Amino acid sequence: MKSIIRYITSFFKGLFSLLTGMKVTLREFFTKKTTEQYPENRATLKMFDRFRGELVMPHDENNHHKCIACGICEMNCPNGTIKITSEFVTDEAGKKKKVLVKYRYDLGSCMFCQLCVKMCPQQAIEFRPTFEHAVYTRGKLVKYLHDETIENGKGETRAAGI
Amino acid sequence: MFDFSTITQWVDELLRSFLPHAAATLVEFILIGLCLLVGYAVIALVLIYVERKVCAFFQCRIGPNRVGPYGTIQSVADMIKMLTKEIIDINHIDRFLFNLAPFVVIIASVLAFGCIPFAKGLHVIDFNVGIFFLIAVSSIGIVGILLAGWASNNKYSLIGAMRSGAQMISYELSIGLSILTVVVFTGSMQLSTIVEGQADGWLLFRGHIPACIAFIVYIIAGTAETNRGPFDLPEADSELTAGYHTEYSGMHFGFFYLAEYLNMFVVASVASTLFLGGWMPLHIPGWESFNQIMDYIPSIFWFFGKTAVVIFIIMWFKWTFPRLRIDQLLRLEWRYLLPINLINLFLMVIIVVFKLHF
Amino acid sequence: MLVDKIKNIAPEAEIDENGILTVTVEPAKYRELALRLKEERDLSFDFMICMTGMDWGDSLGVINLLQSTVHEHKLFLKTFTTDRENPELPTVSDIWATANLNEREVYDFLGIRFINHPDMRRLFLRNDWIGYPLRKDYDANPEINPVPLESEETLDATSTFEINPKDGEISEKENILFEENEYVVNIGPQHPATHGVLRFRVSLEGEIVKKVDVNCGYIHRGIEKLCESLTYPQTLALTDRLDYLAAHQNRHALCMCIEEALGLEIPERVKYIRTIMDELNRLSSHLLFWSCLCMDMGALTAFFYGFRDREKVLDIMEETTGGRLIQNYNVIGGVMADIHPNLIKRIKEFVKYLPPMIKEYHDVFTGNVIAQQRLKGVGILKKEDAISYGASGPTGRACGWSCDVRKHTPYGAYDKVDFKEILHSEGDSFARYMVRMEEILESLHILEQLVDNIPAGDYAVKTKPLIKLPEGHYFKSVEASRGEFGVYLESRGDKYPYRVKFRSPCLPLVSIVDLITKGGKIADLIAIGGTLDYVVPDIDR
Repeated sequence: MKSIIRYITSFFKGLFSLLTGMKVTLREFFTKKTTEQYPENRATLKMFDRFRGELVMPHDENNHHKCIACGICEMNCPNGTIKITSEFVTDEAGKKKKVLVKYRYDLGSCMFCQLCVKMCPQQAIEFRPTFEHAVYTRGKLVKYLHDETIENGKGETRAAGI
Repeated sequence: MFDFSTITQWVDELLRSFLPHAAATLVEFILIGLCLLVGYAVIALVLIYVERKVCAFFQCRIGPNRVGPYGTIQSVADMIKMLTKEIIDINHIDRFLFNLAPFVVIIASVLAFGCIPFAKGLHVIDFNVGIFFLIAVSSIGIVGILLAGWASNNKYSLIGAMRSGAQMISYELSIGLSILTVVVFTGSMQLSTIVEGQADGWLLFRGHIPACIAFIVYIIAGTAETNRGPFDLPEADSELTAGYHTEYSGMHFGFFYLAEYLNMFVVASVASTLFLGGWMPLHIPGWESFNQIMDYIPSIFWFFGKTAVVIFIIMWFKWTFPRLRIDQLLRLEWRYLLPINLINLFLMVIIVVFKLHF
Repeated sequence: MLVDKIKNIAPEAEIDENGILTVTVEPAKYRELALRLKEERDLSFDFMICMTGMDWGDSLGVINLLQSTVHEHKLFLKTFTTDRENPELPTVSDIWATANLNEREVYDFLGIRFINHPDMRRLFLRNDWIGYPLRKDYDANPEINPVPLESEETLDATSTFEINPKDGEISEKENILFEENEYVVNIGPQHPATHGVLRFRVSLEGEIVKKVDVNCGYIHRGIEKLCESLTYPQTLALTDRLDYLAAHQNRHALCMCIEEALGLEIPERVKYIRTIMDELNRLSSHLLFWSCLCMDMGALTAFFYGFRDREKVLDIMEETTGGRLIQNYNVIGGVMADIHPNLIKRIKEFVKYLPPMIKEYHDVFTGNVIAQQRLKGVGILKKEDAISYGASGPTGRACGWSCDVRKHTPYGAYDKVDFKEILHSEGDSFARYMVRMEEILESLHILEQLVDNIPAGDYAVKTKPLIKLPEGHYFKSVEASRGEFGVYLESRGDKYPYRVKFRSPCLPLVSIVDLITKGGKIADLIAIGGTLDYVVPDIDR
C-alpha cells in the first residue's frame, strides 16, 4: 500500500515540477527579448571606455605625437607586438635626439595586458574601445601608429608606404 | 461548409472526359503524389521556421530575422543550402544500407502524411482501417534509423540507433493503446468516421476523463516517437554528438531533418484528428447559431489551427525540459504510461458500455 | 613541535624552518617519510596541495606541498636525484591519489621516472616528443620537435617501472588499459560536452561506462615554461588564460605570491576591490556552470537564461576592468585602475536583480523531476577520496570537506565579511550542483557587505620598474571558482622567476572522473562532467 501511495505521489509531484517549468518558459515567451541587433544598433552601441580594443597613439592637429622612442613599451611587451624604429637627429641647438621613425603594432598578437600603456613615461599611447577589427588576412592587423595619415588596415606593405 | 470533394470530383470528371480510364487514374495518382510532396516540403519549411522562432522566443531571443521580413525566407535559404551541399563519401561503411536509410525514413513519414484528412473531402484515401494503417506505416521509420546507425560504422551512431530502437518499440505501445481508447469510443478505425463522430463535440470533451488521459499519453508518446526533446536520446547532441545521423551530410542529412519535422506534424495532426475533431469546427450541442457561425470558418483552417496548437505544446515541451536518461525513459513508459493506459482503456470501456459520456 | 616529530621519523632529513616548513630527504627515505606523514595521527598530512617537478641545475626532484585537513598545518616535502641521465624517484601515488596525474606531469616535463607508478605515460605532450621542456638544459629548437602533421598514435597499454629488490635492477612492465575487444568510444577532443579540447577514452558495455581514461594536453601552451622567460609583471597576463572563468582570482594568487615575496604592504582599498572582483568572477563562473550543465543535460532554454544574467555580471566587470573574460585588472601592488564610479551602483542593482532569477532557475531546472533524477545519487564522491585526489572547491565541499581557502586562510577582505561556507554531505552530482547554487547567493551576500564599505586610499602602491624577487620559494593560494588555485614560485633573485608552478584546481577534478563514473551510464558521464565543471585550459596550462 505504501509503495502505491509513493508511486502516485511521485507521479503527481513530478508532473507538478514539469508544469512549474513550463510556466516559467511560457512567461519568458511573452517578455521582452534581450537580443542586441548589432549592425543596426551601431549608432547607440557604445563600449565602456576602459575596454581595450586596440592600441593607438593620439596625435594633435599638427600630426604630432608624444612618443620619444625610448623603447620601454617594446621592452615590456611579452609578445613582441610592438616594434620601434628610431634614429638620431641633431636639432638646431646641436643636441643629438632620438626620434621615432616607425611604430609598428601588431593587433593580431597583442594580448591587451596594458603593460605598454602603463609603463609609457610620456603617456604617448593608449587603448581605444573600438571593436570592429575583423579583416581577411592577418597582415591587415599590423598597424603603424607613428603617423596618423597612414591608412592602416590595408595590408602591411601598403600601410607602411613601401 | 465547403467540401473539397467538389474540386477533386471536378478534376476527376475533367480527366475522364478526354482520357481513358487507366490513364486518368494514372494522372490522378501522379497529381496526388505531387500535391502531397509539395505540401510535405512546404509544411516542413514552415515548421522549421516556426520551431526556430518559438524556440527563440522561449529563450529571450528573437530568432531568425535577417532573410526576408522577420526572417521568413530563412528556411528556404537553408533548404537551398542543404540541396547544394556535397554529400561526403565515407570509407568503411555499408554503402547500400547507408544510402538507403534516409529514404526509408522519409518514405515512412510521407506514407503517414498521406493518410491524414486535411479538410472536409481533402483526404487521399479513406480506408476502413485508416488509423491502423497509419500506425503501421509510421513505425517503418525506425527501420531507417536502425539502418543508418548500423551502416554508418560509427560508435556514436550505433549507440544512437540502439537507443532509438528501444525507445520506439516501447512508446509504440502507448501510442497504440491510447489510439485504441479512441477506437473503443468511436467504434471505428476509419478516420472519416472518427471525425464525423465528433460533429456534436470533440472527443476530448465528450469522452472527458479517459479521453483527456489518453490525449496526454498520446502527446507524450508521440513526442517520444518523433525523437524530439526531452526524448531526443537517439541524437542527444551533448552525449552522442548527433546520434544516428552523425555521418550523414548534405541532402541525406536533410531527409532525416525533414522527416523529424514532418513526423512531428503527423503526430500533431493525428492528435487533433482523434481528440480535437480534426477539421470539424467547434460545435456545442444546443447552440445552433453558434455552430453555424463556426461552420463559416473553412474546415482546413480548423484542421491546421488545431494542429498548430498541438505542435506548439510539443515545442513547449522540448524547449523546457532537460533530456531523460535511457533508464528513466524506459521507466516512464513501462512503469507509468503503460499501466495508466491499460487502466484508462478499461475506464473507457466502462464509460462506453454504461453510456456515461456526453 | 612539528619539527621534532619529523626529526623523530627521519633524523637525517634536512629541515628549513623559514616560511612554510621545508623537509628535504634522500629518495631512499622519501617514501617512508611520506607514508608516515600521512598515516601518523598527529601529523596526518592527508591533502597534497601541489607537486612541483624541479630542475635545480645539479639535481632533479620534486617538491610537494602537503596539508593536513585535521590540523591545518602545511609542509614542503622535497626530494631529489642527481642522476640526470636516468632520474628515478619512488612514487607516492598510492599515498595521495592526486600524485598519480602529477607524477605523470613531472615525468612529462622533467623526465623523472617514478618507480612503481601504475601508469607512466606522458600527460600533456605527445608520446613522440623529444626532450623534457622544463629541464634547464632543454633545447627548444623547432627542428628537434617539428610541428607534427600526423595524428598521434593512441596507446592501449602503459608501463610501470618496477625495481627488483634483490639486485636493484629496474624493469618495465606493461599494463593493459583497454583490451582488444572492448567497445572504446572517444568522448572528445571535439565533443560538445567536454567544454573544450579534453579527450576521454571511454570503454562501454552497452550504455554502461566501464572505464574512463583521461587524455589531456590538447590545449597545452606551456605557460609555466613561458613564465620562466618573462619578467614578473609580464607573467601576470598569462594567469588570466589558465582558467578563463576565474581570470581575476588566478591573477590575485600570483599577485599575492609576488607581493609576499617582495614584502609589499597592500592598501586596504586594494584588498576590498580585489575581493569584490573575485566574487563577481565567482558569480559569472557559477552562472556559466549552471547554464552549461543545463545545456549538457538538454535543457537548452535554461542555458540562455543563465547567459542573460551572466551578461550583467560581465558588464559590471567590464566597466571597471575593461575586460569581460580576460580582465587584466590585478597588478603587483594593487589594481590597474581605480573602480569605476558606476560600479557600486551597478552592483547594488545586481544584488537585488539576481535572487528572483535564481528562483526562476530553480523552477525551470532544479525542481524538474527529470533533472533531479539525473543528478541525485549519480557520481558519488566520498570525502576521503576527495581529499586524497585533492578535489577541492565546490566538488570537495559537496562531500563535506571543509576546504574553502577564504575561510581557512583568509586573504583579501574575506576576514572582514560574514559568509557561510556551503557544505553538503551527499557528494553526488546534485550536491555539487546545490553547493554552487547556494554559493551564488553567498557571493551576493559578500558583495552586499563589501560594496558600501570600500575604504578610501590608493588603488595601488608604487613598485620599482624592475621587480626582482629575493631568493627563496613562495606559495600562495586563493579559492578560485572551482577549487584551490595556488602559485608556487621559486626565485633565484633574478628578474625572471626560476620556476613557476600553478596548482590548477581542475586537474584533480578530471582525475576523479574515472573513479565516480564507473558503472554509470553515458548520460551520467556527461552530467558528472557538467557538475565537476572543469575548465580545460586550466588542466593543460
